[in-house]
Amino acid sequence: MSEIDALKIQLESLQREALAAFAEAEGLNALQALRVHYLGKKGALTEVLKGVGKLPPADRPVIGKFVNQAKQALAVALDAMEVELAVKAKAERIEAERIDVTLPGRNRPKGALHPVQQGLDELTAIFAQMGFDVAEGPEIEDEFHNFDALNIPPEHPARAMHDTFFIKDMKNDEGTEPMLLRTHTSPVQIRAMKRFVAEGGEPPLAVVAPGRVYRCDYDVTHSPMFHQVEVFKVDRDVSLAHLKGVLQHFLSTYFEKDVAIRLRPHYFPFTEPSAEVDIGCVFCAGKGCRICKGSGWIEVLGSGMIHPNVLRSVGIDSNEFSGFAFGLGVERMVMLKQGIPDLRLFFENDVRFLSRMGVAK
Amino acid sequence: MKIPFSWLKKHVALTATPAQIADDLVRLGHEVEGVEMPRAAVKGVRVGLIESKIPHPDADKLSLLKVNIGEAEPLSIVCGAANMDAGDKVPVATIGTCLPNGLSIKKGKIRGEVSFGMCCSEVELGLAEDSDGLLILPADAPVGAEVGEYLELEEAVFDLSITPNRGDCMNVRGIARDLAADANLPLAEIEQSFADINDTVAAPAVSVSAGQDCPVYLARNIQGVTVADSPAWMQTALLLAGMRPVNGIVDVLNYIMLDLGQPMHAFDADKLEGGISVRSAIGEENFSALDGRELKLNAGDLVVSDNSSVIALAGIMGSEPTGVTDATTNIVLESAFFRPARVSETRRIYAMVSEASMRFERGVDPLMVEIAMQRATALIIELFGGSAGEITCCGNADAINAGRSICCPVSGIATRLGVDIPQAADDVLGRMGFGVSRSKDRLEVTVPSFRHDVSIPEDLSEEYARIIGFDAIPAILPPLAATSPVRQERSIHDAVTGGFLQVVSYAFISADEQRLFVADDGRDIELENPISDAMSVMRRSPWPGLLNIARHNLNRQQPGVLLVEQGRIYARTDAGHDEINTISWLIAGQAQSDEWYGSTRQADFFDLKGAVETWLSLRGLSGRFIADDSIQGLQAGQSAKVLVGRTEAGRIGRVDGDIAAGFDIDVPVFVAEINLDILPTAKKAKFMPLPEFPGVERDLVFLFDKNTSSDAILNAVKSSAGKLLTDARIFDRYEGKGVPEGKVSLGVRFALQDAKRTLTQEDSDAASASIIAAMEKRFGASLRG
Repeated sequence: MSEIDALKIQLESLQREALAAFAEAEGLNALQALRVHYLGKKGALTEVLKGVGKLPPADRPVIGKFVNQAKQALAVALDAMEVELAVKAKAERIEAERIDVTLPGRNRPKGALHPVQQGLDELTAIFAQMGFDVAEGPEIEDEFHNFDALNIPPEHPARAMHDTFFIKDMKNDEGTEPMLLRTHTSPVQIRAMKRFVAEGGEPPLAVVAPGRVYRCDYDVTHSPMFHQVEVFKVDRDVSLAHLKGVLQHFLSTYFEKDVAIRLRPHYFPFTEPSAEVDIGCVFCAGKGCRICKGSGWIEVLGSGMIHPNVLRSVGIDSNEFSGFAFGLGVERMVMLKQGIPDLRLFFENDVRFLSRMGVAK
Repeated sequence: MKIPFSWLKKHVALTATPAQIADDLVRLGHEVEGVEMPRAAVKGVRVGLIESKIPHPDADKLSLLKVNIGEAEPLSIVCGAANMDAGDKVPVATIGTCLPNGLSIKKGKIRGEVSFGMCCSEVELGLAEDSDGLLILPADAPVGAEVGEYLELEEAVFDLSITPNRGDCMNVRGIARDLAADANLPLAEIEQSFADINDTVAAPAVSVSAGQDCPVYLARNIQGVTVADSPAWMQTALLLAGMRPVNGIVDVLNYIMLDLGQPMHAFDADKLEGGISVRSAIGEENFSALDGRELKLNAGDLVVSDNSSVIALAGIMGSEPTGVTDATTNIVLESAFFRPARVSETRRIYAMVSEASMRFERGVDPLMVEIAMQRATALIIELFGGSAGEITCCGNADAINAGRSICCPVSGIATRLGVDIPQAADDVLGRMGFGVSRSKDRLEVTVPSFRHDVSIPEDLSEEYARIIGFDAIPAILPPLAATSPVRQERSIHDAVTGGFLQVVSYAFISADEQRLFVADDGRDIELENPISDAMSVMRRSPWPGLLNIARHNLNRQQPGVLLVEQGRIYARTDAGHDEINTISWLIAGQAQSDEWYGSTRQADFFDLKGAVETWLSLRGLSGRFIADDSIQGLQAGQSAKVLVGRTEAGRIGRVDGDIAAGFDIDVPVFVAEINLDILPTAKKAKFMPLPEFPGVERDLVFLFDKNTSSDAILNAVKSSAGKLLTDARIFDRYEGKGVPEGKVSLGVRFALQDAKRTLTQEDSDAASASIIAAMEKRFGASLRG
């Protein structure tokens, strides 16, 4: 057997041995060691090449070619094996990192806005989007803004119905009348109109005024403090039809459906004509249920065309301008929308109630 | 006000059902709070014609009847009554009928004879307490008809809430007038009756000195009456209308008041001394009211008096000693018009509401004053005997509310309502008692004396709106455009993102709760008429409210609470009062519960401080927390004031343990409060280029004296580290083993950055060196090895 044949046989055997070792390799580190062992500078193949010098010069290129072929074959096998092992290693890591995704997440306390706040936000936003300016006013009021300017003179029977809280030892600016906790948000109407006129304004004027109000009445269906939203517009030729238009739009927006509305003639000293506004019962769709007492209608607010005496009290010419106004109870609107059965829940502030009814932001 | 259907029908021949009438009333502006059905119609009782009557073979007092009730065969009925004959028509309760007295009719055998029903008297139909035989129906009653329908036995009572402007509707006739006008039915003439005048009965002497408040006053003597119970029909009517019968005279007056709206009063003439005068009270007069109260009257109150004492608070209540009793034989009858504002004021002063005052203060019809007195006189004499003298009349009723007219363009009303005004609406207004004339756009309306509420064109627009109906008015969106910028108030919205639940508590608290956190400096605002002591003073601190809510929830097994509230606090000022908008927080109990990833942790000061800091940062602000041991109600050493810029904007700290215990809270409670009105507004952040070169971070750990303030340390770091410093904070705090007593180990981490280059080791070494030097110089702190 020639030298060259012997070398060829040696190479082939080495190649087989290497491929078998690659297949057995456990892990990428072992494979790297094999790469060094067979293909490194001092590796087995290099050793074979060292024997080439003993060959006759004519044979040398032949063997060189063999060695290179073997080198290439081993390199390809190593690369393939490396990929295979890497895939395997990743699969093992993934398996080792498996978690129970059904365990509860790290708990963060859930904040929530009070349902009354949500109602105030929603209602105010509806009117602001319609084009009403937002205004606020003091809760401790004088009789002029709460009553007189609203066409409720002292002897008026409606004044007694307001169950007013009076402030001890506090008089208005003139020192003539006691101060009180406002019984409705209507005094903001007076203040807004007065400010407007004082600043030289000329109607149109359209305002939404949310806020807290107080009545000396405390039982299952009455809270001594609650929230109202007052809405009014003064302009030339404002009509009852405009009032109806605004009510229809607002109520359908708030209740997120086309609610039926019904206006019933009523009496409020500060409006003429006056109307109480009902909506088709949101619980029974007008069929009649316990909540609407079988009538199919639920009273939601009081409204009307601003009485000329009210406009006159703030210096607006009632021959030239007219207006509509209405006021609604926020708690009542929220109760109707969210099916809350008892007014007292709002002021009990039980965190179970607040979390359930709350939507953050 | 309760209005029986049957009573309404005396004024107008209504044909609609009670349910329809209720709808009509609502549409006309009379709120129907309920429709009671005190006498449901009797069903199954039919009109029967007695075809034959023979005696019962085995019983003397019974008869055997054949009764035709409109069916193929007449019914055989055994009957115990004696007042009927063949040819009479009687009510027949058929088998299966349940009568108002509870009796249920079944087929039965009476002494061997089968009976297929029962002939009824008024008693069995629930129409009377007793009777003397069967109810014999009119000869033209239709055989077979339901007796309930034929006799209109059904009764309905409308419970109405009459609005304060419609005094004219506080009586049956007023309501009937609206319904008649609406349905275009004639309103019956008022029943006018006049008693014969007995010349021997003198007219009472009356003087009216307060003519302004009493423009017309009528009085008359009726002598020789025998007071007895009023008749059953009247008692029934009164009861249905919600009034209790008292005695015959009072009942007659109440009946006429309910019918026509004019309150009247009867005095026992024998208890009066001398003539009657209507005058202002002369300071501190005594008055013994019919309701048992003893009043000291104020000068100026309108009273009716005799020569010795006040006998009535005019229009409100008579005196107890002069009232009519069963023993009364001679009466003085009073009918008058008292000025509404006068009655209203007096009624309020003495909190004395009566059926009369409710009507007088809303305004009665001046033209009804005499008509009512005439009818009352006639009824009294008819029922209780006696004879009447002439009426003494002071003042002129015709002059009150007379000749009022309103002149305005129809187009003005149409514009106000947003709908055309049809001619037909004028007719309805006319039927309501107004005089209406229209020529082109000009409308002239004369107002009837009973409509005190109509005086300006806008009032007419209301009448037309009622007549046309709100349903007929279109819904039109008016042009709208906001004029002022919309400002987003996000205080509470930002606060709840930190896991807090917003609460709403009452603005009034108890005086004791107020004193827990606010000294008594005379600036409290108290209520004159609080619901209770617990709600008697306007809060000057939001904390008592929060503590009460914390108590409520911690008592209900909540392991911890995070609460936030936005609302006003109130205080007197030299000029008047302040209402300050605040936001306030409360944390108590667990900040973290036992979980698979961690264990329970109680909330502490820094949980709340972090929440306040986050809230401030969401508004572009930062606060400095300055230790302050002097905050009332907070525990010294765990309380601070909050400075935002130079403004002292709030306070924070742990609630004093004794105070917390007073609210039944046995875990540490932390509260904070920020004044929203003085909080500066941060400008919107301006853009800064992001750094292009990396920064470096270094940690230094020092031993400080234990009571050194972190705030002071960080300030010293910031002022010593040089221009490159971008951040410095405490990242570690340790005391205990390895740290000498009285010392604390604090780790300071600082960051450096330069916008123009990458920093070198020399940069951070230089900063470290100057920080170390500063810590040593300023606090005597040494670098920890």
